[in-house]
Amino acid sequence: MTRSPGWTLLRDQLTTTRPALVRVLVWSAVEALPSLLSGLLIAAATDQGFLAGRPAVGFAWLAAFAAAVGVRAYAARAAFPYVAAVVEPLRDALVRRVVRSALGRAEPTGDGPAEVARLTEQVESARQLTATLLRTLRSVGITVLAAVLGLAVLAPVTLPLVLPPLLLGGLLFARLLGPLVDRQRAVVLADERVAAEAGLAFAGVRDITACGAQARVERSVGAAVLAQGAAVRALGRAAALRTLTVAIGGRLPLLLVVAAAPWLVDHRQLTTGQLLGVAAYLVQQLEPAVRSLAGMVGSWLLELAVVLDRLATLPDPPDRPASGQEPTSGQEVRVHGLHHTHGAAAEPVFSALDLALAPGEHLAVVGPSGAGKSTLAALLAGLVPPQQGTVTVGGAAPHTLPDQARAGLVALLPQEAYLFTGTVGENLRWLRPDATDRQLTEAAELLGASELLDRLGGPAAELPDPATLSAGERQLLALVRTYLSPAPVVVLDEATCHLDAPAEAVAEAAFAVRPGTLVVIAHRIGSALRADRVLLLDAGRGLTARHGDLQVLSPLYRELVGHWLGATLPQPDGLSIVPGP
Amino acid sequence: MRGWVIVLSVAVPVEAAATLALPGAVGVAIDGGSALPLAAVLLVGALAGAFATLAGPAVAADTTVGLRLRLLRRVLDRGPVPGGPATGDLTARLVGSAADAGGALPSRITAATALLTSLGAVLGLALLSPWLAAAFFAGVLPGVVLIRLFLRDAAQAFTRYQQVQSELAARLTGALAGLRSIHAAGAREAETARVLAPLPRLAEAGHALWQTQRRTVWQATLLVALVELSVLSTAGLQLSNGTLRPGELAAAAGWAALGLGFFEQVEALAGVAHARAGRDRVAELLALPAPPPGGRDLPAGPGELTLIGVSVEGLLGPLDLTVPGGRTVALVGRSGSGKSLLAAVAGGLRAPDSGLVLVDGVPLTELTPGQRRLAVGYAFERPVLVGATVGEALEGAAATETRAARADGFLARMPLGDDTPTTELRLSGGELQRLGLARLLAQRPRVMILDDATSSLDLATEHQVTEALALATAGRTRLVVAHRPGAAARADLVAWLDGGRLRALAPHTTLVKDPEYRAALGPALAAAPAVVPAPRSAS
Repeated sequence: MTRSPGWTLLRDQLTTTRPALVRVLVWSAVEALPSLLSGLLIAAATDQGFLAGRPAVGFAWLAAFAAAVGVRAYAARAAFPYVAAVVEPLRDALVRRVVRSALGRAEPTGDGPAEVARLTEQVESARQLTATLLRTLRSVGITVLAAVLGLAVLAPVTLPLVLPPLLLGGLLFARLLGPLVDRQRAVVLADERVAAEAGLAFAGVRDITACGAQARVERSVGAAVLAQGAAVRALGRAAALRTLTVAIGGRLPLLLVVAAAPWLVDHRQLTTGQLLGVAAYLVQQLEPAVRSLAGMVGSWLLELAVVLDRLATLPDPPDRPASGQEPTSGQEVRVHGLHHTHGAAAEPVFSALDLALAPGEHLAVVGPSGAGKSTLAALLAGLVPPQQGTVTVGGAAPHTLPDQARAGLVALLPQEAYLFTGTVGENLRWLRPDATDRQLTEAAELLGASELLDRLGGPAAELPDPATLSAGERQLLALVRTYLSPAPVVVLDEATCHLDAPAEAVAEAAFAVRPGTLVVIAHRIGSALRADRVLLLDAGRGLTARHGDLQVLSPLYRELVGHWLGATLPQPDGLSIVPGP
Repeated sequence: MRGWVIVLSVAVPVEAAATLALPGAVGVAIDGGSALPLAAVLLVGALAGAFATLAGPAVAADTTVGLRLRLLRRVLDRGPVPGGPATGDLTARLVGSAADAGGALPSRITAATALLTSLGAVLGLALLSPWLAAAFFAGVLPGVVLIRLFLRDAAQAFTRYQQVQSELAARLTGALAGLRSIHAAGAREAETARVLAPLPRLAEAGHALWQTQRRTVWQATLLVALVELSVLSTAGLQLSNGTLRPGELAAAAGWAALGLGFFEQVEALAGVAHARAGRDRVAELLALPAPPPGGRDLPAGPGELTLIGVSVEGLLGPLDLTVPGGRTVALVGRSGSGKSLLAAVAGGLRAPDSGLVLVDGVPLTELTPGQRRLAVGYAFERPVLVGATVGEALEGAAATETRAARADGFLARMPLGDDTPTTELRLSGGELQRLGLARLLAQRPRVMILDDATSSLDLATEHQVTEALALATAGRTRLVVAHRPGAAARADLVAWLDGGRLRALAPHTTLVKDPEYRAALGPALAAAPAVVPAPRSAS
């Protein structure tokens, strides 16, 4: 348990806030003052005061006790800022970790908002649990120590009756901890499975009804529900065993001392007041401390262990190269012998793909869905390393370049446009921070985004929530941004799919006259008509030629173009559309 | 289930009684009595505690499992209901609320017992001496005020904290959606910083929250000590004038502490409220009506689909429509004309406000669930795959069916083929649609309803899929929501919808002469490049 990744994470983080942690511990020691003194003071108040017929002396001792309690209250108050100084940085570190890991992934995975919600919840419960443990566990631990210490001072004769069962209880607790952690973890996993399966099923109620799959889904989600119930019951069984540690460690000492009391008092080993003091230590300090240690604190620790483990095993962001061979010769794009599969057993997406683009050339990539067009785009932009073969731009392999250099060489614009909360200008200058307002408006004009830019209030206007824009408007802004990028090679990966055909034509025409090389992953066949050359990807092969030549060379391409024409409605006014040469 | 409830409702009070008896037993033993009562109290307490710990989770788990299974069945029986609770809400109720509700009985028993324990402890004090009870209450009353103050302050500070928290989560969600752009721009560091920008404010709100707690905690510490001391002083005074014995002083101290346990019950009471809220949220869903399952079988027939007087208040109809067995009818209309609604009603996904939907003469609602599955099936614009693996989610579609839907190619490229977990699928819209078609083909219903089921396919693939689908579904009745002119042209008849009414039912070639009809197919024309700049390459 101590070697688990979660504890390592916690330890590393707590090391950075050690001064605060030390202060928390110091104040905790002060807080334990009444625990240490309670028995001694009660014994003194009884023996020297109340039983000696001098109540004033008894009150004086109790006043001393009151003072000790005042000190405890002050210490509790003083410790709080330091608890915060340990816990808040811990939460910050966990949040940073979650965000880094999430943004470090290669592809968006998981279930988006639901996953973010789950992570937020886990970070929050790590914070709460750590704080509670810092406040409770330490005080409980110190209370046990203080009580034992107080007993040793007040009535050392009782120690042989108290310590053995206490230690035995402690050993038993430690022994039971491992299975408990396992079962707690099993419950967490079972909970997650229920949530995942039910979430999936509820999202698909329409489809389940449409396919008549109610019985199958009910069985499968029901199995997850039953498994979760079984896991909870198993945890309950383990926890029931744990209550025995309280009986042994917390209550057995009391029984032993009380049973031996008549003999001890008769043999003048213990005064009545001392006996009352011992009882105060055992009943009011030791037993509650052991009980909360084994009960709540135990399960909090387990919960924290599980949560921290989950946060600690989030994947680290991959290391990016800090330096690589800088591009040397021009901006020529070369692809040689490229081969890519999604998994060892799967058929290759494409193999032995070759391609050479002269600087300034305009290429369209077409092919059926799933032919690997987006994979090719990612390879060209250096987002993924080639499995076999090479990709070079200006003589450099993009995936080996540092992030900034890579982005400065190839600008890839994917289908889903990314806009963030900030001003419109900040969003548009994302790839070129030094672009002037004039450059922004010029680019917007060229791409047909002027009207949108005006409507948003110009570059200086705030974009409070990007989600309020339509998908097409977001793509338009992302196109302007990409147009402004200093990169000599631009790859548009279905980046115009939410625009209508005329708007797409305007945007592509603007990119075609932009200096530099342009690769368009085509969503509509119109993109192929506008390109210098067309790369047809199909069944793992690539064929590059001019549009006209490709129609001669490839039956699939002919079919593709022909079908596109056939799909248009016969126009009553006889408007004809003539493809390529 | 009942067994554990009995164990729980016996064990919890017995444990509490043992706890309550403990100070008394200690007092008796100290004052020279036998230690046997103490031994008995401790033994009974330990056993009862163990049983209570065992029974609590068992009762909660049984209740939760029962509620979840009922909820699951109810949601599945109900089917898709427009305006019903959203998916996230349903899941939250099944996961969270049902679990909360499971704790209802244990938390009620625990809270009631704890309350009684506190009362019993005060009673114990009063029996020893009324003065002790008075001393106890003198300290307790201000505590109640303190707790109320804390709850109010903490709620405000917590709201602020949660606001910043959700702002951060929203930024992360946005960045995750744009992950590819962020990688392409090499902006991971910058965007991480942007997402984390609210973090200092979160810490600020967190520190404010601690401030609130700090004030309450140290005041509460003082208060508890005050009560204990006032009881102890009173007991000491009575000890010195002989009205109390030493063991009774020990008992008084013990009971004072138990009595103060009342304050911890704020949490237990909150647990009861929590469980009740959870139970109510589950009950709300269970109270939703679900249609009773029918009992009739599908008679032999060609798969004729008949809609009689079907209407959905303010949105559709009333309209009559018959799709003859084995024929294809295309639904055409502007967006908002009711195409998808009619498609949903025609297959029983949505109950019409009035009217009947029949397949081969039998109302859909009167068929058994199994027979309904054979009567009508759907393919959707955005299918949702439900199942652990691809194979399961496709309802066991065979190779011929995946091939007909043109899904065999990318299925072959998946790492584990049919056994690939659905959670690991990263599919484009077109790929997903092809899986939806394969699933429909595997179901083999008499009537197939295709609701925009090929809209995300590129034209080449759509063409291939359409051809293959025509072969695979030859002889079956088809109702097709069409957005592209080609689909309307291929249908035997076009049902032209306008404002929820059936404007015409005729072949495409007849209707196409009407400019309004062409306008209804308008968006499809925009997909064709009406304006194409001349290719730049020299021709």
